[in-house]
Amino acid sequence: MDTITKEQRKAALDLMKANLASDSKFQTHLNACVRCGLCATSCMYYIAFKDPKYIPGRKVNLVSSIYRRYFTPEGKYFPSLFNARNLDAEMAEEMVDCLFGGCTMCGRCVKHCSIGVDVSYIVKKGREMLAVMGLVPKTLQATVDAAINTGNNMAIPTEEFVDTIKWMEEELQDEMGDPKANIPLDETNRHIIYTLNPREPKFFPLSISAMAKVFYAAGESWTLSSKYYDVTNYGFFNGNNEEAAKIAGYLYDETHRLKADKLVLGECGHGSRASRWEGPNLLKKAYDFEMTTALELMAEYIRTGRIKVDKTKNQTLCTLHDPCNLVRNGGLLEEMRFVVKSCVANFVEMTPHGNDNFCCGGGGGQLAMSEYNERRLKIGGIKADQIKATGAKIVITPCHNCVDQLMQINHTYKLGVTIKTVAEIVADALVLPDPASPHDNPADTAAETVADPLHTDSNSSK
Amino acid sequence: MDIKDFEVDGDGFLTKPELWNEEVAKMFAKSDGIEEMTPKHWAVVNIIRKNFEEKGNAPMVRTICQETGLKLREIYELFPLGPARGACRVAGLPKPDGCV
Ligand code: SF4
Ligand code: SF4
Repeated sequence: MDTITKEQRKAALDLMKANLASDSKFQTHLNACVRCGLCATSCMYYIAFKDPKYIPGRKVNLVSSIYRRYFTPEGKYFPSLFNARNLDAEMAEEMVDCLFGGCTMCGRCVKHCSIGVDVSYIVKKGREMLAVMGLVPKTLQATVDAAINTGNNMAIPTEEFVDTIKWMEEELQDEMGDPKANIPLDETNRHIIYTLNPREPKFFPLSISAMAKVFYAAGESWTLSSKYYDVTNYGFFNGNNEEAAKIAGYLYDETHRLKADKLVLGECGHGSRASRWEGPNLLKKAYDFEMTTALELMAEYIRTGRIKVDKTKNQTLCTLHDPCNLVRNGGLLEEMRFVVKSCVANFVEMTPHGNDNFCCGGGGGQLAMSEYNERRLKIGGIKADQIKATGAKIVITPCHNCVDQLMQINHTYKLGVTIKTVAEIVADALVLPDPASPHDNPADTAAETVADPLHTDSNSSK
Repeated sequence: MDIKDFEVDGDGFLTKPELWNEEVAKMFAKSDGIEEMTPKHWAVVNIIRKNFEEKGNAPMVRTICQETGLKLREIYELFPLGPARGACRVAGLPKPDGCV
């Protein structure tokens, strides 16, 4: 980057000013970091590269030095004394390099900072400034554009999606030996609308049939949308909140259009966070329907006995990778372990795990940014060592983004493990109801009666 | 000829897909640990290539299975990195967007 224009600088500073005015947390956290450096060894980037630019406090400092330079009198007049810096080309380049290319927004450092500086939040604010300057890495922006323009981040045409779902449905019917085992599309008034990561229909559809099998066993009333099924939201990472809101709005509107009671977010960490925890902020309204993650739904099915699982069906030693957005930042630590331990006979934890777990290395939009692929695989070495140390042959994780990074780590570091989603593990452990006896789930029957009061044999084949 | 002679993006995908040929495919395959490109590997690569030339993007894995007659499981075995980072890269496509 040779120069940045006056307009670019003004846009970034105007945004910072607006953020300072509207969100008191911003100023507090900018001022809170005392640059003690205690967070250094909590960050994968610093551990892997030993380069001080990756110390989390340094990332905070990039943003806070701009704040001091332009929004405090001492920084304005004595910038070098007060560690204040101009927002020039050099600064912008460092910000792109460290805030986009050197942070997965995993939040591990936040837990290790004695003051509790929310580093990933500040990184996000820095990314927002880069976004208004037009400095989002190209590959990340392409993924957001695809989602906005086509409804899914891989730009899959609707017919091709529908064909794939029909294919998975046929496979499911074969496996279940039941022509009524289906994967409903665009049905209205179902209890649940379920969502996917586009990489499932495009390249890895077995997790779709796994979840369909779980729904079948539960006798659930559910549907997929053929147009807005994408649970991901890369607008959460590119720093453009308007784009994030637009993408979150697709699922909100589709849930209404199909008149579903409950939006179930497929296995995706950041996508779950973007709708479930951040959605109301993004859309500036409360959600007027229920929302849950596939993980919690499966936990509920098991807990209430709505599905039966037999852990002896999964004998191979398994370990679990905690997605940052669902565990450290989402609180699903226990839920996830409850489901997995109900479904596998032999389980071993990684060290560290749970809230202190290391990110897979693919978070924060890294997986979509080819620019930083080498760094991503290098920091993934930490996860590779963790996996190796467990001796497990299966790594389970409820996030397709983590799955992809783990697949690459598996290959790069020759781990020889299999990566599975939670739905796949649950599906493998399912004890299916005897096909001879009809489904008699009262909840399902009730939903069907309301949905289709004129239900007759002639229209039941749809 | 060596991979270093070709311009690739950070993920190792060809930057200029038009420079692709069978030698390039073999080289990429080898760097992924595929020692020999069998007729099955070629069937997958050719259908991906055809789809890319006709439609400008990678085919759905369903299309790959349908056109080659291979089972899903076989595709994952042939290309351990999967259809995207594995097969599409060998076929000389640019990296698909999204979580792959
Ligand atoms: S973020 Fe916290 S731990 Fe890191 S340098 Fe700042 S105050 Fe210290
Ligand atoms: S959020 Fe994660 S990747 Fe980013 S600075 Fe903190 S520990 Fe490092």
